Amino acid sequence: MLEIGIVETKSIIKAIAEKYLYDFSDYALTSFKQRLERSIELHNIKYFDIFQNKLLEDKIFFETFLSELEVPSTEMFRDPSLWRIFREELIPDILKDSGACLRIWLPNSVSGDELFSLCIMLHEMKLLDQVKIYVSALSQRSLDVIQSGYFQNGKLSISTDNYIRANGKMGLSDYYTTVKGEIFRDKSLIKDVIFSLQSVIPEPMAQPIKLVLYRNKMIYFNQTLESKVLRCFEQNLNAGAHLIIGTKETISNIYGNSEFNLVNNSESIYRRKG
Amino acid sequence: MNYKAIVIGGSAGSFQVVTRILSSLPVTLSVPVFLSLHRLKHVRSGFLEALMLKSNLPIIEPEDKEQIRPGRAYLAPANYHMYIELGNRIALSTEEPVNHSRPSIDLSFITAAQVYRDKLIGIILSGANTDGALGLKRVKDNNGLTIVQDPQECPVRTMTESSIRICAVDHVFKTEEMINFLLKLK
Repeated sequence: MLEIGIVETKSIIKAIAEKYLYDFSDYALTSFKQRLERSIELHNIKYFDIFQNKLLEDKIFFETFLSELEVPSTEMFRDPSLWRIFREELIPDILKDSGACLRIWLPNSVSGDELFSLCIMLHEMKLLDQVKIYVSALSQRSLDVIQSGYFQNGKLSISTDNYIRANGKMGLSDYYTTVKGEIFRDKSLIKDVIFSLQSVIPEPMAQPIKLVLYRNKMIYFNQTLESKVLRCFEQNLNAGAHLIIGTKETISNIYGNSEFNLVNNSESIYRRKG
Repeated sequence: MNYKAIVIGGSAGSFQVVTRILSSLPVTLSVPVFLSLHRLKHVRSGFLEALMLKSNLPIIEPEDKEQIRPGRAYLAPANYHMYIELGNRIALSTEEPVNHSRPSIDLSFITAAQVYRDKLIGIILSGANTDGALGLKRVKDNNGLTIVQDPQECPVRTMTESSIRICAVDHVFKTEEMINFLLKLK
């Protein structure tokens, strides 16, 4: 495997920013470097210079790189305990507060695992029709994959176990079909979802959002970018709205006095003050 | 100590040895210890508590971007890779499993080698996977000190044997030799 250094990593970030207007300079350096090395290996490229030139001269290759750069979710229903709370407490509470109009936003989506988990849960709660879901992604390639329903084979077994632990009401297999060894999830679950492209920092939404699902996204950012993203969420969420981040991510660590109160420590659920 | 950090990788059959090491290292240890140990993906609690029972050092399952402090052991959380990030911090990742493993021992070792270079001690213990071998080689390539548990002592030998195969390790030790060696380091 080709090993690239910190200097090269920084140089490629700078070159991408000048050429494509995607600024990754506030991504966490170590994982960004990992992603670069992974891409180089996936495309069987032998030299760093060749990779950098291809990235800067071939727009289609850059699109591919963008979709490889973002880290997909590890599985469906990751942290089943969160999904149980989601079904039994969080959603009923939010509905009590907000009445009919519940808007949920999933920024930086990559593989659709969180989206389909969410839709299955809402479907089983008979709420899917009442909820407006917004999905934004960094690359068109990611949006295409999500909308196709494609699900990576290797994640199936742990996702099936998770679904059972999350007290799923059916079997996970009720929500996908297998075509020539490839798994596709039931697209009717996402037929009313609104998809859009976003840049490195999610753009503010036109409508006030009640819940943002943003788990294990900020681990790939440095503290500067984390703060910018959180500020964007503050602007989009009214008092009482919720933000869910990864179990090992914390807002206080990076942000000092934020506009979010921690309401569930083990699942990292936050609530907008006010 | 001439070294600035210790990174330990282990899988099946390593729990006893890790416990022995953690109960022998002094509270006054002047470097951090990183523990990248294979564990069940979906069980978030219990492992840390079991390790803490006999440990002299405080053990922490770090949050993302947690600051690294000497005299503490950092345990890779379930279903996350644990990286050593620049700026004396730990970074977590949910990237693809390596050798079916998340946490991946290789990734912890490689990122630690990048940061600590020749000031790193890498230790591979018993395990049923080749994960760790490549990481240990990277420690060696950066002139760090490499130690492998004697395969004859390991309940499962795959990990130690594959490490010895691809890396000219500095020491092959039984548990007690390893502990004596670590305690004598100045």
